[in-house]
Amino acid sequence: MEENKSEVLQGTLDLMVLKTLETMGAQHGYGIARRIEQVSEDSLRLNQGTIYPALLRLWQRGWISTEWGTSENNRRARYYSLTRAGRKQPEMETANWERIAATMARLLAVR
Amino acid sequence: MEFLRISLSRCAALFRRRRLDEELEEELQVHLELAMEEHLRRGLPTEDARAAALRDFGGVTQTRERYRMQRGMPLLESGWQDLRFGFRHLCRNPGFALTIVFSLALGIGATVSVFSIAYAVLVHPYPYADPDRIVYPLLADRSGRLDWTQLTGAQVRELAKSGVVERLSARVNRTMALTDHDFPESVTASFQTGDSFPMLGVPALLGRNLGPADSPSGQAPQPVVMLSYKFWLRHFNGDPGAVGRTLELDHKEYTIVGVTGPRFGWGGNNGNIDVYLPQRLSDDLPADLSFFVFFRLRQGITRAAANAELQPLFEQFASETPENFPRQFRVKVQRLEDGTIRELGGTLDLLFAAVSLLLAIACANASILLLARGAVRQHELAVRSAAGASAGRIFRQLLTESLLLSFAGTALGVLFAYSTLGSIIAWLPVDSFPNEANFHINVPVLMFSGGLALLTGVLFGIFPAVQVVRPGIHPMMQAGNHRIAGSVRGTRLHGALIVGQIALTLLLLTAAGGAIEGFTRMNRVPLGYDPHNVMAISIPLQENSSTHWAERVHYFTRLRDKVGELPGVVSVGISTNATPPDSGWNQTFALPGKPGDEEQKALIQFVGPDYFSTLHIPLLQGRIWNAAEVDRGATMVLVNQSFAGRYFPHGDALGHSLEVSALKSQPPDLLAASGSDGWMQIIGVVADSVNDGVGHPIQPAIFMPFSTFMFMGTQILIRSRTDPYPILPSVRKQIAAVNRDQEVGVHGDGRLETWIRQEPAWARARLISGLFAVFASLALVLAAVGLYSVVSYSVAQRTNEFGIRLALGAQRNDISKIVLASAGVRVGLGMVTGFGLSLASTHLIAHWLENSGHDPLVATAVCLLMVLVSATACLLPANRAASVDPMLALRCE
Repeated sequence: MEENKSEVLQGTLDLMVLKTLETMGAQHGYGIARRIEQVSEDSLRLNQGTIYPALLRLWQRGWISTEWGTSENNRRARYYSLTRAGRKQPEMETANWERIAATMARLLAVR
Repeated sequence: MEFLRISLSRCAALFRRRRLDEELEEELQVHLELAMEEHLRRGLPTEDARAAALRDFGGVTQTRERYRMQRGMPLLESGWQDLRFGFRHLCRNPGFALTIVFSLALGIGATVSVFSIAYAVLVHPYPYADPDRIVYPLLADRSGRLDWTQLTGAQVRELAKSGVVERLSARVNRTMALTDHDFPESVTASFQTGDSFPMLGVPALLGRNLGPADSPSGQAPQPVVMLSYKFWLRHFNGDPGAVGRTLELDHKEYTIVGVTGPRFGWGGNNGNIDVYLPQRLSDDLPADLSFFVFFRLRQGITRAAANAELQPLFEQFASETPENFPRQFRVKVQRLEDGTIRELGGTLDLLFAAVSLLLAIACANASILLLARGAVRQHELAVRSAAGASAGRIFRQLLTESLLLSFAGTALGVLFAYSTLGSIIAWLPVDSFPNEANFHINVPVLMFSGGLALLTGVLFGIFPAVQVVRPGIHPMMQAGNHRIAGSVRGTRLHGALIVGQIALTLLLLTAAGGAIEGFTRMNRVPLGYDPHNVMAISIPLQENSSTHWAERVHYFTRLRDKVGELPGVVSVGISTNATPPDSGWNQTFALPGKPGDEEQKALIQFVGPDYFSTLHIPLLQGRIWNAAEVDRGATMVLVNQSFAGRYFPHGDALGHSLEVSALKSQPPDLLAASGSDGWMQIIGVVADSVNDGVGHPIQPAIFMPFSTFMFMGTQILIRSRTDPYPILPSVRKQIAAVNRDQEVGVHGDGRLETWIRQEPAWARARLISGLFAVFASLALVLAAVGLYSVVSYSVAQRTNEFGIRLALGAQRNDISKIVLASAGVRVGLGMVTGFGLSLASTHLIAHWLENSGHDPLVATAVCLLMVLVSATACLLPANRAASVDPMLALRCE
């Protein structure tokens, strides 16, 4: 069962996080990780921990902002949301991704 | 923009690490709790829920680490970590660290100081504008010997018009008396023609330079004076207000117009010029006044072209004043530094070679130690690698440690260079380098040596990392198979380094042996006179004083007798130009039937009758003049043994005559007794004494009464019962009692022993043998340390093997033998190579070292020393290996 899950491709996690925040609004790390897993319908092997370095990376680029809020279990938690600059990113990253995917598809189609 | 933003946030993170860490911790905690709650809601038991949460998360520690990497500046942080770890690591092995640091420091320090001196002396000694074009003419005689020439005023003017000359500087130096003090003080004055300062093209420190306007043609020069920097410091305490004041020289007032720059030393020999005065070149100069000339070549004129252009002109000069020129000559213009290169170039080349060897040995030593250390650490590194340290991380760690060592070595080396520079300069022969030379640590050389040290450190420091990163970590970790065979990679490199180190050390030792042998021999050569407790003072005459022959004889005699009255003075003797070790006036002479020619020359020495007893030079045959004979300028001479032996081999010199035609009176300066240029009778033969400089063969010499020929001054030799220096003030008082205007000059501290030490050949020999001895001892110590550490390391590697051998019945002797044999091969190979090298370079060294010895005994002694030191370096660890307890050795892990 486990073998059928695919690894998260290098560089795709950032797009997943951005897209998730675009659709869900402000969310904490666990929420983002669970959402990605749910959307992928468990076909993706995500080490949940890896989203934290990714979040930090996006924050350093100024695409997401953070604020402290309260979680479902009444604990202080860090919530992430898209910044103005970050809102433009999913489109660009999506276009980028589609280009790569198309290229891959063409390459794989060659016999 | 984005890069900047990321960098900034990373930088900021460096300073808020703790808080950020806490926040991350909190965030991760909440994450795990949320995950666990979700699993609990799905009905998993608590323990399973926690495990599932952790599994989903996928490694809290890794996340933390990667988060931190993303957050701060991982390279910087781990670099700092490496630095601290490296420092602790080195502190745990202080012997190892200190040896490497000192090795490098010694090599770098020696190299930097010697190279810095060479640079200051040879490459860039002159502070003048475009110094490469400033030249002076020398004349090469038939044998190729170069000699100065002097030109008359008219000839100088003629030369200045030549097409190759852009500007010309001519000078006459003279001692003057500073007469505005209680005691007159001698100052050395340099009279420079108008174009001199413009030719040099450097500004005055204060006021202005002398110029053409100070010596207008057809008029007496302006009463102006320019002070040298040192004189200004000495007499005016560096007061800028000195400019504009007056200076009284020879009872005449001169206005001070300027002060030269600190490195300005034009016209003198050892920065000895005190004041500069203007000199004119008019027709009405005394006929016998002659000048030394320097000139700036026109742009684009080569020296060869200048030689060709000037040859006919100088031949014309030679026909005008044949006494100033050799019979046949070629003009050879010289750059300013050519003299220095002739005088000191070989010495510096030799020192270059020596320090390069030392640096190579030091680097080899550092390499050996780093390799040995690295091999010992293989196990540690393998463990770290297996525990997850990346290859890059291990690389960086080792690199940091190496750099730490290299930098420490370089820093210490610089300190070392700073502290030794001064003492080496103090040992340089006086007058052998331009007084303008500015000694300071040479930065490019420092960079080079430091770079070499870094390279050594980096190359050999990361060598162990290369071995770890190669495949095959596991065997390294498994019970240390490397301990048995001692077959660690790098053994061959080790061997090569040891062989090279020993070879270079032997070469350096041999050269040092030769230099020391030469120096000792020079010191053992009998001087033929006794300099102990003898002092020389010089008595320069002022212009137009004692212009009559009898008056001058009487004056000198009175001064001598007055000094002789002092208690504590044993004897005094007049020695106009005969003060050893480099004395006399090389002149041709004629014997009956043998007219004088260039080959028949002797050193003419003008002395008083007490000269010989004062210097303890024994009379071998005949007699010495009596006082009356000296007073009347009797035409009687003494000769030394070399003279008698060469020209009268049958021992019949007494009663024969000789003639020196150059001894002609030229009043008012040069006063000769009547008949001085005629035949003079030999009345005595004295023993040989050194007269052409220490280290050079004794030349034939003719001694004449000082009254025969008198210059504008004389010297008095004083032998006292004890050290003569303390009585110098009383001597000055005695002289002043005769004539309170009479100056007294003292060369150095006046002691004749100092005169010997200031001999260029002696000082050069001392410098070379001293430095070589130091370098060779350092090299020997380094080589011994290198050898010791290699052998100890190989012994440590083979402890297990030795245990097995002992357990199987090997004797302790056998173990020692094994250790010694493997080291012995390398030492032997190194010594053979070194011996071959030194044989091959004998010729080269002899070329550089004029007095080097090549006594086979010295070579043998050097080899024995090397063997002894190597044996000690090997025996200590060998004994340790032999005394190992087999049970401990076998268990040893």
